Amino acid sequence: MSQIETIQARLLELVPESSWSDGAAGDPFAALPADGWHAACLAVRDDPALGFDFLRSLSGVDRPADDRIEVVAHLFSYKHRHALVLKTHTGRDGGALPSIHDVWPAAEWYEREIFDLLGVRFEGHRDLRRLLMPEDWQGHPLRKDYREAEHYRGIPTRRPGYAAPDRDEP
Amino acid sequence: MDALYELITGSDLGFWWKQLLLAVLIGAVGVIVFSVALVYAALMTYLERRVSGRVQSRVGPNRVGPLGLLQWLADGAKMILKEDVIPAAADRPLFRLAPYPVVIGVFAAFASVPFGEWLIAADLNVGLLYLLAITSLVVVGILMAGWASNNKWSLFGGIRSAAQIVSYEVPTALAILVVVLMAGSLSTQDIIREQGGWPWDWYVFRQPFAFAAFFLYFTAALAEGNRTPFDLPEAESELVAGYNTEYSGMRFGGFYLGEFGNVYLMCAIATLVFFGGWQIPGVSPAEHHGSWLWQIVGFGLFFVKAWAASFVVVWLRWTLPRLRVDQLMSLCYRYLVPLSFVCLLGTAVLMMLVPAGSLFDSLLRFGTFGFGLLVAAIFFWRVLWHIRHVGDRIDLKILARGVRGRFDPAIQHRAYGAFRKQQKQPEESR
Amino acid sequence: MTTDKPERELVVEAGPEGGLVVGPIDRLLNLARKHSLWYMLFGTACCAIELMQTGGPRTDADRFGMVFRSTPRQADVMLLAGTITYKMASRVRLLYEQMAEYRYVIAMGSCASTGGLFQGSYAVVKGGDLIVPVDVYLPGCPPRPEALVEGLMLVQQKMEREPWLKKAHGKLPQPVDPWPEGAELHR
Ligand code: SF4
Repeated sequence: MSQIETIQARLLELVPESSWSDGAAGDPFAALPADGWHAACLAVRDDPALGFDFLRSLSGVDRPADDRIEVVAHLFSYKHRHALVLKTHTGRDGGALPSIHDVWPAAEWYEREIFDLLGVRFEGHRDLRRLLMPEDWQGHPLRKDYREAEHYRGIPTRRPGYAAPDRDEP
Repeated sequence: MDALYELITGSDLGFWWKQLLLAVLIGAVGVIVFSVALVYAALMTYLERRVSGRVQSRVGPNRVGPLGLLQWLADGAKMILKEDVIPAAADRPLFRLAPYPVVIGVFAAFASVPFGEWLIAADLNVGLLYLLAITSLVVVGILMAGWASNNKWSLFGGIRSAAQIVSYEVPTALAILVVVLMAGSLSTQDIIREQGGWPWDWYVFRQPFAFAAFFLYFTAALAEGNRTPFDLPEAESELVAGYNTEYSGMRFGGFYLGEFGNVYLMCAIATLVFFGGWQIPGVSPAEHHGSWLWQIVGFGLFFVKAWAASFVVVWLRWTLPRLRVDQLMSLCYRYLVPLSFVCLLGTAVLMMLVPAGSLFDSLLRFGTFGFGLLVAAIFFWRVLWHIRHVGDRIDLKILARGVRGRFDPAIQHRAYGAFRKQQKQPEESR
Repeated sequence: MTTDKPERELVVEAGPEGGLVVGPIDRLLNLARKHSLWYMLFGTACCAIELMQTGGPRTDADRFGMVFRSTPRQADVMLLAGTITYKMASRVRLLYEQMAEYRYVIAMGSCASTGGLFQGSYAVVKGGDLIVPVDVYLPGCPPRPEALVEGLMLVQQKMEREPWLKKAHGKLPQPVDPWPEGAELHR
């Protein structure tokens, strides 16, 4: 059994509701429902056979076609030197997820970033403020249908007199 | 000064006329002392910037006046022209007042610095005590600035500075006491007269404890003047600019001049206490006393000695990294204070056991002098050793061509080319 | 003290009466001001690395009397060294407002001048002159230290041609302040 199959088998044992995908376009990943997210993260961290003690990255992807926002966690285990990708998703409007900053403290700022740029609310997060944008910024810039305001606090957001560069308009 | 004083008091003018003339005299002396102090402090800033330039293999200011010598005038004029910002949250009266104690503390001390036998504004019989006491005024100003700015960095800087200056006052004073004990006087002029022109007549080489006391004094004085490696109150990397963060314009200029004036002052004190002040080798005090020529030469000697010491201070600043606060305090209370006590006690014991002029006295004197020479020789040998091993031949070559060569791109280019050629040659042909 | 390079006339301010007269006292004061141009130790992105270079041995800015001060109160010129994000914008503005008069601003690099390669970005201010009045623009990504020294010298030339006595008494038109009326600062 290859390493990934071992992980897969163990994960299905621990979290039966996870659905495994071989990730034809990238890494294989396990998709989880939103309500099992926190328990699953705790389980893969504490299980001695998996032992994912390091959160490499936590990111968000907006998928307007499916009307959802995916949150992707890249995990790594220093002990066993293997990696795992976990995914969950939530609705685009007022979507919320349980925060995992108590599982991996590193998640705290990642979650702030995802909240800032995609508007996912993380329940149980102790300090959910915007991270990259100013606190009174309107909207979440990484959403595909985001339309930039003409002004921010009276500062024009396009250089006056410049031909407008290409922007992704929805 | 004294002559004029006696002339006025001894004249047959009325009481009020005498008072008026005395007031004018004092005022004039004050203005002169202030200007001298101002120019010295300003030249100190120039020295600092030039030496820092050389240390970092830069050039340093060289656009204003010959060799940039008038840079301080430009800086001063600029500071006067700048807006004097007082933050809204600051304690206004205190904020405005704070630079004055610093400036007064440093510049008033210049009144008692013996630049020459005749060139002293006030030869007090408690001169050294006055010098030590009045420079402590600085800490009041710094604390006021830190508190009144209502800025956390300023407050940190002010408190650090207060702790540091007050603590290091103790070893400074104890180290100076060693010499006071030997001279039996607190008057600056008397201390210089007790020494002689030749190096082995200086107090620093009289006996081993005085030699150690000099280093203790120098370290403690560096800390008292907030100089690197003890410049915690204005550590740029931690406290924006320390206690003067909120100051702009000439109020900042006051702190700036005070700081650099303080550096010169501590070097002047080192010169007069340990290095024989204006004493000229081979010229007896009687000869010295009445002669204009020797007065001028003596002034020149004092000038050279004090500026050489200032150079070392600046050199240290651009060489050493900064200490931590706790290291600073433990250095003071666990090492400098006990060591200076030992020096003081040792000096007292030596003075009791060894009569002045005895054979053992001369032995001690020349032994210490020889030891000093040895230390200097080892130091220079190590410096040369390091230069050789770093392979920094460029700078030495350029230096060898004199002041002009240092700034001539063509010479630098040639020297660099030679250096490159040397680098390319195999090891054994060097 | 006119310059023989006409393109540098760009930085001349027009007085209310038309021509400018720089009197002898002005000249003297300007001479002092221009030789003591202290810049603020402040950088927001990669251009700041070149800013640090400028103080180094190759282009020793201290030759011209330019040293860095780490507090805005004592700085005369602010270098917008790097990309300015919206979050940083009000900090930049705050620092500018903390500087004591007289003060000059150099927009260093294309980011600080126009937003540079971040034109399409949602997070970057498209030019430092949208938040503070800028005196000199330096193109380049990043500008070389030599270019930065030239920018500082352009500020010197601007100083030279200012009738200081009038400027100090507010008799000259103030530079247009782009900061929008009523916009708050993060404090
Ligand atoms: S102009 Fe270039 S070097 Fe300067 S901050 Fe922008 S991207 Fe960086």
